[in-house]
Amino acid sequence: MLIFSVFKTLTDQRVTVELKNDLSITGVLKSVDQFLNIRLDNIKVLDEARHPHMMAVKNCFIRGSVVRYVQLPAENVDTQLLEDATRREAVSQAKR
Amino acid sequence: MDTSSAIQEPFDLIRLSLSERVFVKLRGDRELTGVLHAYDGHMNLILSDVEETILIVEQAEDAAENTVNMAKRKMDMLFVRGDGVILVSPPAR
Amino acid sequence: MDSLIPFTTSGSLVDCVDRKMLVVLRDGRKLQGVLRSYDQFANLVLEDTVERIYHQDVFAEMKRGLYLIRGENVVLLGEIDLDQEDDVPLRQVDWETLEPYHLKEIADKKQRDELKASILFEKRGFCKEGGEGDGY
Repeated sequence: MLIFSVFKTLTDQRVTVELKNDLSITGVLKSVDQFLNIRLDNIKVLDEARHPHMMAVKNCFIRGSVVRYVQLPAENVDTQLLEDATRREAVSQAKR
Repeated sequence: MDTSSAIQEPFDLIRLSLSERVFVKLRGDRELTGVLHAYDGHMNLILSDVEETILIVEQAEDAAENTVNMAKRKMDMLFVRGDGVILVSPPAR
Repeated sequence: MDSLIPFTTSGSLVDCVDRKMLVVLRDGRKLQGVLRSYDQFANLVLEDTVERIYHQDVFAEMKRGLYLIRGENVVLLGEIDLDQEDDVPLRQVDWETLEPYHLKEIADKKQRDELKASILFEKRGFCKEGGEGDGY
């Protein structure tokens, strides 16, 4: 739930999603779900020439399981808050 | 060594590394170092000030001359999906 | 309180229904068709599906009909912008003409990956693992 919550706070920010098949897509994060499936609007594909099938695509839905990384805007991430929330989540996980 | 009773399972060890620099080994011949800010039970991670190292193979005509090189990349703030993580550890001293 | 609908799989995909979509599969296939249905696993029903293969600045199509796609094989779903589609600078050719080039590209990549894995094994002791996730 923690990472899901982090992504929810980043909606409408521009992020770069790198997939496991080495495709990198920059776009505005429009939505995310509990599986960390991602919806991006207004996308730009890095190295477009290698991925011609993406040329006419402006918005996309990316299955969470194929994501390797998501590059986040550092200025919109409160690292202190994150660390505190992680510690709390770790404690509640252990109690289960 | 730490004798605190708070260390009971592997995730407690990772908890000690929060806001510290960690080394992460990933599947697909990749490694990261970065400051750990968040993790969860899937080993999803959020790191800042990240340096990624990818191993690249250069083939030569002569098989004995094949070399392995490294390509590095820096990123400010990164979410790493847990299913690619092999290990998390304090950086090599 | 903001509606939480966008934060469900259903919410993300509901406006894609009855639209022409690009589906990229884990085995590298690219399909285009009209999305008729989906569920929380991203299982999809795609109508009038066409498979496309690409090589350099050329592509080819093959009609495939009605597909039910298992969600675990889906990489991404793209909304095709019907205006931009006409601007794409690619030439269409016959499937039979392009297929050999496409298959060769796949075989070459497989060979490069196998060679890379064996070199990494010899030089660095890297195990020949299955690959990330399920490897594709």
